[in-house]
Amino acid sequence: MLGNHLLEIKNLKIDVRVTKKRRLSIVDTASLIIEPGEIIGLIGESGSGKTMLCRSLVGTLGRRGAYIASGELKFDGIDLITAKQSVWNDIRGKRIGYVPQSALAGPNPVMTIGAQLAEAILQDENFPKSDVEKRSLELLNIVQIRRPETVLKQYQHELSGGMKQRVMIACAIAQQPQLIVADEPTTGLDVTVQAEIMELLKQIRKDFNTSIILVSHDLPLINEICDDIVIMHAGTTVEKIPSKSIKASKHPYTLALYNSRIDLVLPKGQLKTINGQPPSVGSWPEGCRFSERCDFVKDKCRTKQDLPLIEIGSNHQTSCLRYDEIAR
Amino acid sequence: MKAKFAKFKEWLLLPGGFGIFTGLLMLGTMILLGIIIPNFGPYKPDEFIGDPFLPPSWQHPFGLDQLGRDVMTRTFSSVGIDLGVAFLGVSIPLAIGTVIGILLGLAKNKYVLSLAGSLIDGINAFPLLIIAVAMLTFLGSGLRSVVVILAITNWARYARISRTRAVVVSKQNYIEAAKTLGFSRRRIVLKHIAPNVSSETVAYALSDFILVIVVVSGLSFLGLAAKPPMAEWGSMIADGRAYLAQSWWLVIFPGLALCWSAVSLSFVVEGISRRDRGI
Amino acid sequence: MSVTFDSYGDVIKAVDHVNFVLPKGQTIGIVGESGSGKSTFARVLSGLQIPTSGSVTFMDKPIQNGKNTYEGALRKEVQMVFQDPYGSLNPRMRIVKAIAEAIRQHQGLDKKASRVAALDLLESMGISNLDAQKFPSKLSGGQRQRASVARALSAQPSVLIADEPTSAIDQSAQAQLLGLFNDLIKKGLSIVLVSHDLGVIRYLSDYVYVMKDGIFVESGKSEEIFNNPKEEYTKKLISSIPGRSTK
Repeated sequence: MLGNHLLEIKNLKIDVRVTKKRRLSIVDTASLIIEPGEIIGLIGESGSGKTMLCRSLVGTLGRRGAYIASGELKFDGIDLITAKQSVWNDIRGKRIGYVPQSALAGPNPVMTIGAQLAEAILQDENFPKSDVEKRSLELLNIVQIRRPETVLKQYQHELSGGMKQRVMIACAIAQQPQLIVADEPTTGLDVTVQAEIMELLKQIRKDFNTSIILVSHDLPLINEICDDIVIMHAGTTVEKIPSKSIKASKHPYTLALYNSRIDLVLPKGQLKTINGQPPSVGSWPEGCRFSERCDFVKDKCRTKQDLPLIEIGSNHQTSCLRYDEIAR
Repeated sequence: MKAKFAKFKEWLLLPGGFGIFTGLLMLGTMILLGIIIPNFGPYKPDEFIGDPFLPPSWQHPFGLDQLGRDVMTRTFSSVGIDLGVAFLGVSIPLAIGTVIGILLGLAKNKYVLSLAGSLIDGINAFPLLIIAVAMLTFLGSGLRSVVVILAITNWARYARISRTRAVVVSKQNYIEAAKTLGFSRRRIVLKHIAPNVSSETVAYALSDFILVIVVVSGLSFLGLAAKPPMAEWGSMIADGRAYLAQSWWLVIFPGLALCWSAVSLSFVVEGISRRDRGI
Repeated sequence: MSVTFDSYGDVIKAVDHVNFVLPKGQTIGIVGESGSGKSTFARVLSGLQIPTSGSVTFMDKPIQNGKNTYEGALRKEVQMVFQDPYGSLNPRMRIVKAIAEAIRQHQGLDKKASRVAALDLLESMGISNLDAQKFPSKLSGGQRQRASVARALSAQPSVLIADEPTSAIDQSAQAQLLGLFNDLIKKGLSIVLVSHDLGVIRYLSDYVYVMKDGIFVESGKSEEIFNNPKEEYTKKLISSIPGRSTK
């Protein structure tokens, strides 16, 4: 559909029902736009809401009592907020794929790898059952698993962490989705494995023009792999900036994150940390939620509510009120 | 004073608070009445007062039983017996089982481990009531025998829990840290391993308590534990069974008392388990 | 002062014929991926595990005596901090009590004095008096790690062995912990840092050993290893760091 972004999130608000009367906002004023074939990094500290945002993309919010309170969420022109189950069934797993965090989920322990791949492949009801094995081997080859015939018969516990993740990626791309949401896919894996998985994701983007949202807390990683980076803090998207221009960031939080990178510091040198802790859900301060940790804060930062992303340059948006005063 | 009440309210609102509170309240009422009524009430449990089968009235809220004894007094005098025996029947196995379990969990000798392990699993294979009945026929019945039997057999259940737990705990980092810090083995076992193991066995003991109360009453019902003329819920129910249709109060009140005790304890146990889970 | 290590494997050959030296006042990093045997190695150094063959000496004295390690006064010299902040502290003991216990063991103070000393030590690690009275479950991962370090320091050791201390905590807690280690190094503590996180190793270590499948494949000064790796495996490791691709 012409004129549509692949994914458009605008000022999204996700709330959670704590008790019958109390609601908490977990995500608020979050915006994000993705085009086909882009790799976008989503970075934030714990509690930033990045995981919840991902869940809204695969429709699993309801399981945790969360729901979208306001804003827009459109995938290829389809409104996902009002989408019925039938619409979601067409999208989830088929047009939007999901790769979970490596340490947590993973292949189903009681099913063979082959069985799970088959399940992913047969999400397309019209797929001929006789071709399932061929397609499974094909997928395992794409994710660069050696000896795929053996792996098909194995169970999850017989595989290494890296292989498990490759299998999860294989399941995610089985239906050639337009978008893959990868939530910390390499956290906890060895660094050499991480590098390989990242190369794999880049290859998939190249071969299938798949867009990828890569969620992580590791800034150097995101910087290297992603085209653009979206930074989240306390439930809000605070900046969107091209990877290569990260040093020209116009938001104090991004700058603080960048400057606290350990690989930029001389051995045993002064480590720059970000003041304070990210505010926890339910105790967000008034005004800009970074105000209490910001070196750059002024009074007006504390009073203005609802800071949406503002376009300030080519492909660069920020929510900082004082962005024009940030020199580098 | 206000501060204390506020703290209590906060505790109450945490997961499980209401359950524990209600359960303890119910149990406390039962225990209180169990102390007051038999000791300060107008009648004695064995006293023949009036006509048999007198229905509940103002003077005798629970009525009189088949021998003209006051059912209320008898019901509440059973509290001490049932709860007391159950308490002994749980605390002794708890103590023995926890200690043996810890020793086994920390033991390294292969022979000791497999022998003891088989023994424990063997005992645990039988349901408590069956073993109790079987042993009572050998040892002769009576409340004292019941306590002895419980001590001899029930410890195995605690030992199994405590052994598994001891093994898990001993592998934890904080135990290794205690070793590198040079703490004596005695200190490690007593101050670090034991508290973390007994938290599990004590939790089990609470729910076991409920079971044992019912078992003791059940055995008395069968005539194997408390015997007439002792006032005990199980034996009261057994005695009154024949007259259930006309004089329901002989059975219903002791039955209700038994239920009340069991239910109150289960509220407490459920409340504690909810608190641990954080719901 | 040095801890030297020269050992052969464990039953599963977790650590295979390695040689290692820790000179006084230095920080040595042991970097390796999962399964490399580095944790086993750390535990042998701290005396928690006895090597199948070979020995560890501290200041030229063997640490092993029959089945025991680090006997008597030797025990306090080498302490350990573990990876998992959740299992590192006794869940049924308040933090201040746990530290005070360690202080009492090694500094010979009485109950009252050791409690005061414990509170002070914890405060210097950024754990307030209020937090110190809590149970471990009420503290964050970062705080728990710092409490574990405090406990290790109560013995006033000369060597601290840290097994993946930053792996299970978030970024800001990591930075705090590393800053803490930095301060301790300045005060003269020797550290053996075991980690799979190359950034952390690079930040703190003077000398690095690279471990793979139970062997040290390369070792050398920190800058050498990171800027000029010689072995294939080391090169592969270094180039996998985001931003350091040699492609």
